[in-house]
Amino acid sequence: MSDAPADWGVLSELPGNPLMWVLILGELLVFGALFVGFAVVRLLHPEMVLAGQTSLSIPLGGANTLILVTSGYLAARAVLARSTSKVAESRWWLAGAAALGACFLVIKGVEYADKAAQGFGIETNGFWTLFYLMTGFHAAHVMMGIIVLGIVGWKNSVENLETGAAFWHMVDLIWLILFPLVYLLR
Amino acid sequence: MTHEDSRLWGRRLLRAWAVLVGLTVLSVGAALTGGSGQRSSLLAVAVALIASFIKARQVLDHFLDLRRAGGGWRGLFNALLLVILGLCFALYLAAGTSRP
Repeated sequence: MSDAPADWGVLSELPGNPLMWVLILGELLVFGALFVGFAVVRLLHPEMVLAGQTSLSIPLGGANTLILVTSGYLAARAVLARSTSKVAESRWWLAGAAALGACFLVIKGVEYADKAAQGFGIETNGFWTLFYLMTGFHAAHVMMGIIVLGIVGWKNSVENLETGAAFWHMVDLIWLILFPLVYLLR
Repeated sequence: MTHEDSRLWGRRLLRAWAVLVGLTVLSVGAALTGGSGQRSSLLAVAVALIASFIKARQVLDHFLDLRRAGGGWRGLFNALLLVILGLCFALYLAAGTSRP
């Protein structure tokens, strides 16, 4: 059996595991379709969307953005630490990234509870259906990302860490587009 | 990897994080200048979308290290981001929501 690295064709140019990049592209396309769908709903029902957005907290969404980008920074530092053979340090960076991911979910939970208390559910209207669908789907990725960070912290090779961190950065990337489109463009 | 390479990598990540934080604060600040229940100004919308594009590039280039890949890959991700954000902006303008 050959020890030569697998030839992934043009995907070989990409850093980390090429399959993660296939996933990143796929996720961007799926979320991209949801974002455009949300923009179409705004076009068809501008007053309904504006009324829904008025109920959203920009500071809370902004705080979650700061939490997620900081978490992404910590995950990137974990890869840097592991690349210089600092295994224990890389685990601390990863633990920090995962802890901030958990903070993101807590804030999201507070936001959902607040909206539910105000009577806004997934069936209230098209805006709330899309809001819960997009942010809920994203939050599910955050949960999965925390698990992935835990696994690559345990099986702590450079490639595993690069791949797990790439998943985490993809989750970050999607939120950086979702937040302005849903919360800020009113 | 030399100690100097590692130091430069760390500084690059820190710089990218600072850009991400700065642009987030800027876009949130611009959005909060409008009154509650009012439509955003076109300036605040432009700031939010341009900041979103730059932030996505920071994550791709520095956190995901896409800068190490060929120009074709960077072009593909640029194009994808521009199509998504551009379509959303065009539909936003068509909805007439940029007018106060």
